[in-house]
Amino acid sequence: MSAAISVRHLRKMYGAKAAVDGLDLEVPHGCFFGFLGPNGAGKTTTIRMLMGLAPPTSGSIELLDLAMPEHAQEVKGKIGLVPDESLLFDHLTGPEFTEFVGRIYGLERNVARERSRELLELFELDSEPRKLIGEYSKGMRKRVAMAAALIHRPELFLLDEPFEGVDAVGARLMKEILLDQVRHGATVFLTSHVLEVVERLCDRVAIIQQGRLVLSGTMAELRSGSETLEDIFVRVVGAERPAETLDWL
Amino acid sequence: MIGAQTWAIVWAQSRSTRNRFFRVNRAGAAFTTLLGAIWYGAFCYLAVIVAFLLSEPNELESMRRVMPAGLLVCFLYWQLIPVLTASMGSSLDIRKLMVYPIPRRDLFGLEVLLRTSTSIEMLVLLTGAAVGLLLNPKVSVWYPLALLPFVVVNLLISAGVRDLLVRLLARKRVREVVVFVLVLAAALPQALLLSGSRARLRHLFAGAPLPFWPWTATSRLALGEFSWLSIAVLLAWVAAAYAFGRWQFERGLNFDLSEATARNAATARAASRMEWWYSLPNLFLRDPLAALVEKELRFLARTPRFRLVFMMGFSFGLLIWLPMAFGPNAARHSLFADNYLTLVSVYALLMLSDVLFWNCFGFDRGAIQMYFLAPVKMSTVITGKNLVAVYFVVLDVTTVALVCALLRLPLSGLQILEAFCVTCVVTLFILSIGNLSSFYNPRPVDPGKSFRTGASARTQAMMTLAFPVALLPVGLAYLARYAFDSEAAFFGALGAGALLGAIVYAHSRGSGLRAAEQRKDVIIAALSRGEGPIES
Repeated sequence: MSAAISVRHLRKMYGAKAAVDGLDLEVPHGCFFGFLGPNGAGKTTTIRMLMGLAPPTSGSIELLDLAMPEHAQEVKGKIGLVPDESLLFDHLTGPEFTEFVGRIYGLERNVARERSRELLELFELDSEPRKLIGEYSKGMRKRVAMAAALIHRPELFLLDEPFEGVDAVGARLMKEILLDQVRHGATVFLTSHVLEVVERLCDRVAIIQQGRLVLSGTMAELRSGSETLEDIFVRVVGAERPAETLDWL
Repeated sequence: MIGAQTWAIVWAQSRSTRNRFFRVNRAGAAFTTLLGAIWYGAFCYLAVIVAFLLSEPNELESMRRVMPAGLLVCFLYWQLIPVLTASMGSSLDIRKLMVYPIPRRDLFGLEVLLRTSTSIEMLVLLTGAAVGLLLNPKVSVWYPLALLPFVVVNLLISAGVRDLLVRLLARKRVREVVVFVLVLAAALPQALLLSGSRARLRHLFAGAPLPFWPWTATSRLALGEFSWLSIAVLLAWVAAAYAFGRWQFERGLNFDLSEATARNAATARAASRMEWWYSLPNLFLRDPLAALVEKELRFLARTPRFRLVFMMGFSFGLLIWLPMAFGPNAARHSLFADNYLTLVSVYALLMLSDVLFWNCFGFDRGAIQMYFLAPVKMSTVITGKNLVAVYFVVLDVTTVALVCALLRLPLSGLQILEAFCVTCVVTLFILSIGNLSSFYNPRPVDPGKSFRTGASARTQAMMTLAFPVALLPVGLAYLARYAFDSEAAFFGALGAGALLGAIVYAHSRGSGLRAAEQRKDVIIAALSRGEGPIES
């Protein structure tokens, strides 16, 4: 089985510090992949490199069997992104933003507009069509980003904390849509701090710490014992020490 | 052919601009439009004069002598003014667009077109020139087309320079060196002109203009002097400018800002050496004011935009006015020489006003929510910000005075006192206006960007009004000195100005704080907002 994401010896230096330090990763096609790690472990840097936002210092990236950045143009057309919130355009309304993204991905204007309308209806963002994204709540921003990520029916999803700030109803809808996409052959690569969600959705998981891969495998392999994903995570990243108490607290 | 994606970007930007326009203060927008009309109207008037001159068949010979120099000025304005005003106009928000499958050539094409945002004045003048030439019966209708490659060369070079500067200024230490080189380069022509090299410069420009410059080739072709050499020169310049612009653009696309600004061991050591300076306020002030002032010092000292403006404030002003005031051709007691330090100090203050006064929460977009939530009075916050602003102004003026002393410029103690007093009075008024505008017209500013994309129209309008008001009491003090020929009258009037400034400051501060309470949600929303695909 070929890999939807193949990363070899990936390294990213910020000054003297390695944010990602020789990362090797294989994400098979049709996989729901959870990419975990404590704060500052290198998750966002990795996903930024996959999205083409940050050039790696060394190493190679292949997405959908195409080398990056050589085939960046072709690859980007097949990817759906839920990026960092700052990449949204705050002075556009939800319908304008999703239509814009559709057109950027090469959809005809009327097709983009129609899909935009349907997606916003699905994500319950259609009640205030003139509201600017800058005026959206955090959850609404994630939902509009997800709607935009779906508009061109991508083969690969790169999602950075997609459920952050989303209410239970919205999160369930997003999960169902993503699971449905995976059933139809798409690949999902997501970072999240909500381990319960990762445990329920993902069939493969990787954990990085200080830029290095410390654990990788299928959920079935990882949960061979009685441990939950949270137990495994805490054990692997070495945060098992009992919470220290402060005298004044 | 323009790609569909390019149209999508243009469409999104037009929507973004429309959405923003309908949410701004209508009166402010109308005033801004009026100011824009006056500014560009003046250039349109100049363009009509240019058109009139070039349409005269009898003036063609004199135009052959003048036009290369005119086009050279046009070229310099196009390339230098954005750099000197630290304002590079609109540009694509590459960070947001990079994730989409947009061909790089399309992005480059758009970016080059956006360079027109820094040169509308020159485009107006060149249009006037083209119209004049078209009306001239001695010039064939095809010759004015030669102005087009000249425009293209300027746009491409401007795009390349912008990308190059954005990258250079993002790097610590390199940034400071680049600013000094720019300042020196900008001051060089004036220094040469006013420092006895005038004769040599005149000799240099006395002969026929060199045919290898784009302005010479353009001028010759546009005025009907056909030559294959001129065509070859223009084409070569277009090719070279394209290669430079595209090369810099590609490098910009692969540029990682986080990587460039990453702290290393050396900067960490430098930061620790600055600790005593940051904690200085704790000796004189009590918390929470001391904590707020310390935070402001730390924050501003680490902000590239602030550092750039602070450095330009004293270095650029110092160099620009120096030859005029003390050059060999300057009179011993000229207006410039007598008021040199004051002029440079007020110039430094005006440079700093953009980052310290008008929009004092702009860099602090995240912190504003904390200020509203934390058990600290907004009056304490604004006091902290004002204290830091005054501190940096005094620091800038002191630096200027020290440099003057080092250069052994003929400055008396009274002149130094005058410079400090004048700057303080102007500062009082600018603070008063700034405290109001910071709450009534807050806008997010990226502290990481050394160059602004362009002040918002409302801010420009406000600044055009504010500076004359802030300078008025000082102007009256100088009038008193002139009328009574007395230093006492001058300092008396200045004292009265300071008193008035203090009253205005107290009143505007109270008014600003009331606005902060009433407009809390508007201020937070305004400071949290980003841009469209184009930063403008």
